Amino acid sequence: MSSSRTAIRLERVSKRYRAGRSRTVVDLIASTVDSLRGRERDVYSAARGRIDSTIWAIREASFDIAEGAGVGIIGSNGAGKTTLLKLISRVTWPTSGRVLVAGRVVSLIELGAGFHPELTGRENVYLGGGLFGLTRRDIDRRFDEIVQFAEVERLIDTPMKRYSSGLYARLGFSVAIHSNPDIVLVDEVLAVGDAAFRRRALESLRRMIAGGKTVLFISHDMWNVRRLCERIIWMDEGRMRAIGPSAEIADQYMEQVNLRALANQQNALQSHRGGTGELRYTDVEIVDASGRPTAIVRDGGPLTVRAAYDAGVAVVAPVFQVAIVDVDTGLVVGTAASSPADVPPVVEGPGVLECIFDPLPLRRRHYVLRMTITDSCQLVSYDVVSAGPRFAVTGGGPADRAGDEEDGFVTLPFRFEHRARVLS
Amino acid sequence: MTTVAAERTLTDRAESINAAAYWQLLGNLTRREVKGRYSQSLLGIGWAVAQPLAMMAVFTLVFSRLGNISADGVAYPLFAYAGLVPWFFFMNSVNSGTMSLVQYRNIVTKTYFPREIIPIAQVCARLLDFAAASSVFALLLIYYRVDVTRWTALAPMLFVLLVAFTTGVTLLTSAVNVFYRDVSPVVQIVLQLWLYVTPIAYPIAKVPERWRRWIAANPLSGIIEGLRSAIVYGREPDWPLLGVSAALSATVLIGAFVLFKRLDKYFADVI
Repeated sequence: MSSSRTAIRLERVSKRYRAGRSRTVVDLIASTVDSLRGRERDVYSAARGRIDSTIWAIREASFDIAEGAGVGIIGSNGAGKTTLLKLISRVTWPTSGRVLVAGRVVSLIELGAGFHPELTGRENVYLGGGLFGLTRRDIDRRFDEIVQFAEVERLIDTPMKRYSSGLYARLGFSVAIHSNPDIVLVDEVLAVGDAAFRRRALESLRRMIAGGKTVLFISHDMWNVRRLCERIIWMDEGRMRAIGPSAEIADQYMEQVNLRALANQQNALQSHRGGTGELRYTDVEIVDASGRPTAIVRDGGPLTVRAAYDAGVAVVAPVFQVAIVDVDTGLVVGTAASSPADVPPVVEGPGVLECIFDPLPLRRRHYVLRMTITDSCQLVSYDVVSAGPRFAVTGGGPADRAGDEEDGFVTLPFRFEHRARVLS
Repeated sequence: MTTVAAERTLTDRAESINAAAYWQLLGNLTRREVKGRYSQSLLGIGWAVAQPLAMMAVFTLVFSRLGNISADGVAYPLFAYAGLVPWFFFMNSVNSGTMSLVQYRNIVTKTYFPREIIPIAQVCARLLDFAAASSVFALLLIYYRVDVTRWTALAPMLFVLLVAFTTGVTLLTSAVNVFYRDVSPVVQIVLQLWLYVTPIAYPIAKVPERWRRWIAANPLSGIIEGLRSAIVYGREPDWPLLGVSAALSATVLIGAFVLFKRLDKYFADVI
């Protein structure tokens, strides 16, 4: 934090939205008639109640954000994260409470929202810049910078309807951050665009924080949030669940996400299900050393996957496969397939199979299991569970290493050897 | 961005960034509107001229030939066209303006800027059509050998009244349409009827005395009659009629703007 001045202050802010269908003049007349004829009010109140039913998107949120702070906003879908940004950017107004802001706000709720597909990139830079309060002179001065950052030099005089969605977003982001705001609101927009651009965008946000700008950053990617922000606000069903140091809140949040996933594991096995069905998993669990289900694995410790299956018909030489997928990136970090020696030559009826990774050389991230059963040639899939149980690798194990996308997923065995250089 | 260091104090009001940027935004949105409308169109701006010309032909046939309405000493086509150009400016502005906030939903719900810029840009975009149709009007004036008189100097003032009234109605319908989509079809029906209660196909002098009061309560009557007196007839306008128009136009514009600013906090929630 470069200064102790307050950039954003929320005072007991609540925001209510009307749910259900929007009003028509017929509803208006009906409700007016109702209120005029007090006697009949009860008859219509049920219908009116449905029309007037409301949702509290934000409830009693209060916080202060200092100038020059990077603050992450996390929470599940529908927790009120985007509404929070809309309140701060004055797109919408609170039902009660006050939203105080110091300085110019730029919101990146949707990149390139103000662009028009019929206009060229160049024309849209001026149009979009205008939406952010830039004058033509301001844009003239920064035009080259904007275009270079987005890397669209080649297409700048082409109508934007010919742009890919990634390019569209890149130009939108570039215009927004070059509009010299005091406060930047970012809403998961970095999901679009390629990895190189994402990295550059994060880097530019980091530079803005270092330069004293205030950045609010919504993301489901805990690693990016932790790297960019020193504090996190955790929203849960419209309420502020927690606010505090990034590492602490992110860990709390991921633990809860994990517990929820654990609670829903029975259901998780049912969704995202494929395969022909002769042979199916009936239950998949991750178990600890004493055989109890868990969702936490110490890094460097063992991972035991216990899979119960049931074969409706006799199946010859099935191959059971377990793939470990990184939740944030969707990358497969490792697989294990059973060999003919591991399972009976013919499988019929129920059975249990355990797959043990010992040690599990994974970094401290969150993973999900993808489970399949195929024939010996891997041509027929009997069962595909694309989202099986989830687990988190946490610290405290033999290899206590923090996980970071850029550091990779796997702890490789290695050693350094040093020798004095011998000049020949 | 601007060289003046922004004063950063906590406030619960919407920031007012520099006005110059918003004027330019209005210009840009207008350009976006015009370009969007005429790109990939063969006739392009020609459509803005075709519309009043076609109506002029119909009016000439129906009202002048069949209905025997005389234009008080000038050629009927010229008479009708002089009324149709401001009429189409009004009608098209209100028509596209009514839906404009809903059409620009994606920026209304995602960025902050003064929302009135959107419907006003629709009116501005129609100014281009108005200019194109007016240039054909100028050719008609030359063709029919109409002389310029000192009353012609009134035309700019009448034009300002027309724009003021049009902007007022557009602000009103666009804002209410955000809440009740019924507004758009209602507006279309009202506009169809409005054409006939405005002295466009006929001079107001032809209206029976007892109805004239009601026609005069229509702000467009004073404006269109005024434009005709000033340019086509080259004579003094009907001042009381014009006075009523001016007063009503100003009232509508101010009232609509005040209402718009009261409603615009809720646009993003209900749109």
